[in-house]
Amino acid sequence: MSLIDEDEALIAAAVKGSAYAWEKLVKRYEPRIYNHGLRLTGNPTDAMDLMQEVFLGVYRNLHRFRGDAKFSSWIFRIAHNKAVDMNRRKKLMTVQSKADDDFDILDSLPGEVKTEPEHRLNEQQLNSQVLRMLAQLPMEQRLIVECKIFQSLTFEEIAELQDMSVNTAKTRFYTALKKLKVVSEEANVLSQD
Amino acid sequence: MSCPKTEHLTKEYFSSGLSEVSKQEMESHLRSCERCNQELESLLLVQSKLESWQDQRVPHWNRGMELYRREHGQNESQGRIFDLWRWLPTATSFAMLLLVVLNTSLVIGDQGVSLSFGDSSASSGLESRLDAFQNNQQAKLAEFVARIENRQDSNNMQLMQVVFDQTQQTTAENLERIYTFFEEQRLQDLEDMRVGYQELANNDYETIRSLEQLAQYVSFSGEVR
Repeated sequence: MSLIDEDEALIAAAVKGSAYAWEKLVKRYEPRIYNHGLRLTGNPTDAMDLMQEVFLGVYRNLHRFRGDAKFSSWIFRIAHNKAVDMNRRKKLMTVQSKADDDFDILDSLPGEVKTEPEHRLNEQQLNSQVLRMLAQLPMEQRLIVECKIFQSLTFEEIAELQDMSVNTAKTRFYTALKKLKVVSEEANVLSQD
Repeated sequence: MSCPKTEHLTKEYFSSGLSEVSKQEMESHLRSCERCNQELESLLLVQSKLESWQDQRVPHWNRGMELYRREHGQNESQGRIFDLWRWLPTATSFAMLLLVVLNTSLVIGDQGVSLSFGDSSASSGLESRLDAFQNNQQAKLAEFVARIENRQDSNNMQLMQVVFDQTQQTTAENLERIYTFFEEQRLQDLEDMRVGYQELANNDYETIRSLEQLAQYVSFSGEVR
């Protein structure tokens, strides 16, 4: 049975009231949704809030899922829209821009993560670097980078998702990459000093 | 040194919908244009850095219950099993409390099993009979006690009478004996005195004489008096 078939079976069972199927479905997709939220919001608390909102939305609308699209695409669309809503409410970008000088994901992670082995620490440092870079982008550019690089969507899919032209999507992505290049180069200069 | 194609080329490079012809043209240009090549490499380096992201573990959260709590009242069917198990101990305790409060009684007899709650007619009839029996017993007991007391009083009176009579009789007898004893003692004393006098008379005439004189004197004095 393929993942898609498994998804459909789990969805059917969850709609009929199977808590087990629902939990299995959530477990399957929660890492993707949580990390999506972490990259967009920059902190675990907001990422958890976003993830819970996403699965609440999924839960309420599960019976409407017809299988016309892949479930993974459907759930990511919900996650994307929830992130946009949350950004409107909390102005995440503003907060992150102000805090960028002192921002460190290691400070915002649970204590147990900090005490893990060295390779995990290195992993955290890489993630922290990614978050520092993303924090320099406005939310609309961050969403484009998220969709293109981390979710591997095409420009056509992004355009449809964000209700824009394909060319605008390409331009916005290019602008974001150029800004990230500048940020990255500045960071390298600072670290060499 | 700038190139007018750099922006267009880099935008299209990340597009997945390029035709083979377009790809070949792009590669050909990149080989010849240092500016575009450098720009593309720097952007690919940025992409590489971003792709170094390692998925974080999701912190623990209660997947089912969080949603059930937030959706409370709308998805009763999903929570039915959980609710049953969660409320089972409470329901059992409540049922046991009801059994105690309602005074539930289960009677298994020859005529079958009967379950009754509170003060049923059967138990109230039984209770009234028990009360009547208790009253009857108390009355009988009181009567018995009164009878015992009367009998005891009469016995005591008789006993006291007997004791009194016997005591009185004994006392009279004792007095009689004492009187007899004293009388005997007095007579014996008189006899002793008489014997003594006789012995004295036998032993000393003078003495007898004087004694006879004394006796005469005594009897004379008695006669005078």
